[in-house]
Amino acid sequence: MSRDAPTLDAVLENPRVWRGQSGRQTANGLPTGYPALDRCLSGGGWPDAALIEILTDAYGIGELELLMPALAALCTPPLSPDEEPGWIAWIAPPFQPYPPALRDCGVDLERLLIVRPRDADEVLWSAEQALSSGTCAAVLLWPERFDDQVSRRLQLAAGKGLSRAFAFRPVSAQREPSAAALRLRLIPEADGTELAVVKNRGGRPAVFKRFFQSGRASPESP
Amino acid sequence: MPRSRRKPAFRREEGLTAADIGPAVLKRPPGDSQYRLPLAEASPPASSLPARSGNSDCLWFAVYLPSLPLDAMPSSDRPRVLVEERQGIHRVLLADTGALEAGVMPGQSASAALALMPDIELLGRSLPAEREALERLAGWLERFSSSVSLAGPDMIVLEIARSLRLFGGLRTLRRQIATGLDAQGYSTGLAITPTPLSAIWLARDGRRACIRNTANLLPALRRLPLALLDWPASVTAALEGMGIRTAGACLRLPREGFAKRFGRCRLRELDQALGRLPDPRRAWRAPERFVADYEMTGEQSDRELLLVICKSLLEEHERFLLLRQQGTQQIRFEFFHLRAPASSLKVGAAEPERSAHHWFGLLSIRFEQLTLPEPVIAVRLQSGEGRALRRQSASLALGKEPGRTLNYSMRQLAERLAARLGSGSIHGVHTVAEHRPQYAWRTADVLTGIVLLPVEAVSCRPSRPLWMLPDPEPLTMREGCPWHEGPLQFVSGPERIETGWWDDDGISRDYYRARNPRGRRLWVFRVRERRQADAGHWYLHGYFG
Repeated sequence: MSRDAPTLDAVLENPRVWRGQSGRQTANGLPTGYPALDRCLSGGGWPDAALIEILTDAYGIGELELLMPALAALCTPPLSPDEEPGWIAWIAPPFQPYPPALRDCGVDLERLLIVRPRDADEVLWSAEQALSSGTCAAVLLWPERFDDQVSRRLQLAAGKGLSRAFAFRPVSAQREPSAAALRLRLIPEADGTELAVVKNRGGRPAVFKRFFQSGRASPESP
Repeated sequence: MPRSRRKPAFRREEGLTAADIGPAVLKRPPGDSQYRLPLAEASPPASSLPARSGNSDCLWFAVYLPSLPLDAMPSSDRPRVLVEERQGIHRVLLADTGALEAGVMPGQSASAALALMPDIELLGRSLPAEREALERLAGWLERFSSSVSLAGPDMIVLEIARSLRLFGGLRTLRRQIATGLDAQGYSTGLAITPTPLSAIWLARDGRRACIRNTANLLPALRRLPLALLDWPASVTAALEGMGIRTAGACLRLPREGFAKRFGRCRLRELDQALGRLPDPRRAWRAPERFVADYEMTGEQSDRELLLVICKSLLEEHERFLLLRQQGTQQIRFEFFHLRAPASSLKVGAAEPERSAHHWFGLLSIRFEQLTLPEPVIAVRLQSGEGRALRRQSASLALGKEPGRTLNYSMRQLAERLAARLGSGSIHGVHTVAEHRPQYAWRTADVLTGIVLLPVEAVSCRPSRPLWMLPDPEPLTMREGCPWHEGPLQFVSGPERIETGWWDDDGISRDYYRARNPRGRRLWVFRVRERRQADAGHWYLHGYFG
């Protein structure tokens, strides 16, 4: 062990040292469609090439509505004709995603891929394949089994395929460590759904009371 | 160009290409109808045998496989001898070089061969294996010519005149075929002549004949012993009794008498061999679908080895499809066991595909999940319907950064997922113009790639929930009110959806948007139809996720 004080460069090379500005410079997120949420997120939207966790215990509280504007934006044809819009994979959804409703939200049904694996391992395998393939613009998954290692693998796969993974997990998972770039928590309240930004790489945590109210989103209510 | 009539015939024309050869038309002055077989080329054939200029630009390549019965057998590291039973005694029919060096001779009894070389491998003859080997060779030869035909159990002829330019001349083509056959372990007799029958005879003779001009056929055929002509033994014996031992001697006989005594077909064969009569050949067609077996010497349960075998079968499959410029969308592997029914494995692809590498990638995903009840004794690969390959051109967007790195395409992703999870567990969706919510959508098969026309369905107003339950879930009633984690609070409704008498699944429901006390947004309905057993009951049909 050297008694000399370490140089600044040596300290910065240490992977455990995180520099606050780095996230802001690079991230260029996909607008969520909710300006209040966008302002809070570091890249001005859903981070690119990253794992995003949505922690929720109940269905029917706006957990899909949260993603719909972004998914619709991913389906709009890009400006150059040789660039294909990506696919949206739904892996092990708990119910049937209802196509007429998705279409009304602006999602292109022809770009939808619904995968129903038979067990927990296959969910993760499919998600990893879909993320790293580079063909999926977003991958939504409802994993049964999830841990720190899985989150790292998904994060790596998302980085490899420049895709976004939206993993829906129970609220209890908040205590577990995760490599996700962004973690949101949705809790239904009597007067609307509370949205909390639990982990926000390159940004600050935040809480939005009554983010969704009585079946209708209130985008400007912080 | 000077032309000697001596061997080696092949060397002599090495400078020639297909373009150099003019049509070599037989000169046939019209003459006496009382014709005889010609003594020499100059001797006039009859006018009833018209000159066929079309024949002369054909060039037939005959491949004779004298040791096919032995070559068709699986190879071994021990010397092999093929034995056949004749009058109760097993006699050596063919022996490979190792056995021949030890002194084993064809015709010996099997016990004599064993006495000479105790560690010899005695093989019985298998006609199906020979036929299969012959057809495999014919399939391989199809790459050199479009007309390949089987001319007997150990003979293949192919027409090569039209392939010469493509393959860079006769010499290169001949070398390619010869080395290819050699690499596959076949000992061959090869001959090239303008008529198929003469090529067959010369190939059987074992001389590496190469004759390009019909005029040169006669001197080459003249010396051929009668035994090579594959005539019935009675005919050959009768001719030999007359002191006629070569084809040339046959040709000197009076035609009419020859035809009368030995049959018109013998005379016709001689004429066909000399190019005086047409000799159409029926082209062999490879089967439309690929089937290949790999039989193991013993029971095998090593999965790694099985995969290697599958890979070699897939490579053969790729070669088969390459010849036809086709791909296939489905292949099936069958693993045969000694005491259990065969396990089969189906692998599908999104688009016609032939690449062995691609198929092997899909197979290895499926193979991981396959449980083999017993060791395997044979593997069969069966290919689906051949389809024309679809290829897409890459874009020429130079100097542009790709937006997303495509590690593999959507199609490949769908294939990989389907290979592991089964094709039923992966699908797309599309909407249907239908008012009943449960029929307003359908699954779409992503693998077959059927492009569905966009249905301009009426937009659903009021909106529908994003989550739909596969089957409506009955709600309990408490305090006179539908209950879901507490009493429901109705947000909007009712929206009445009715009828469907045309398919016996008519409904009559009042749909409501509701909220439960925990803040969940539900889509519920009450059955209206009085005749139905559950009239007045409440059901949950979806969540506004």
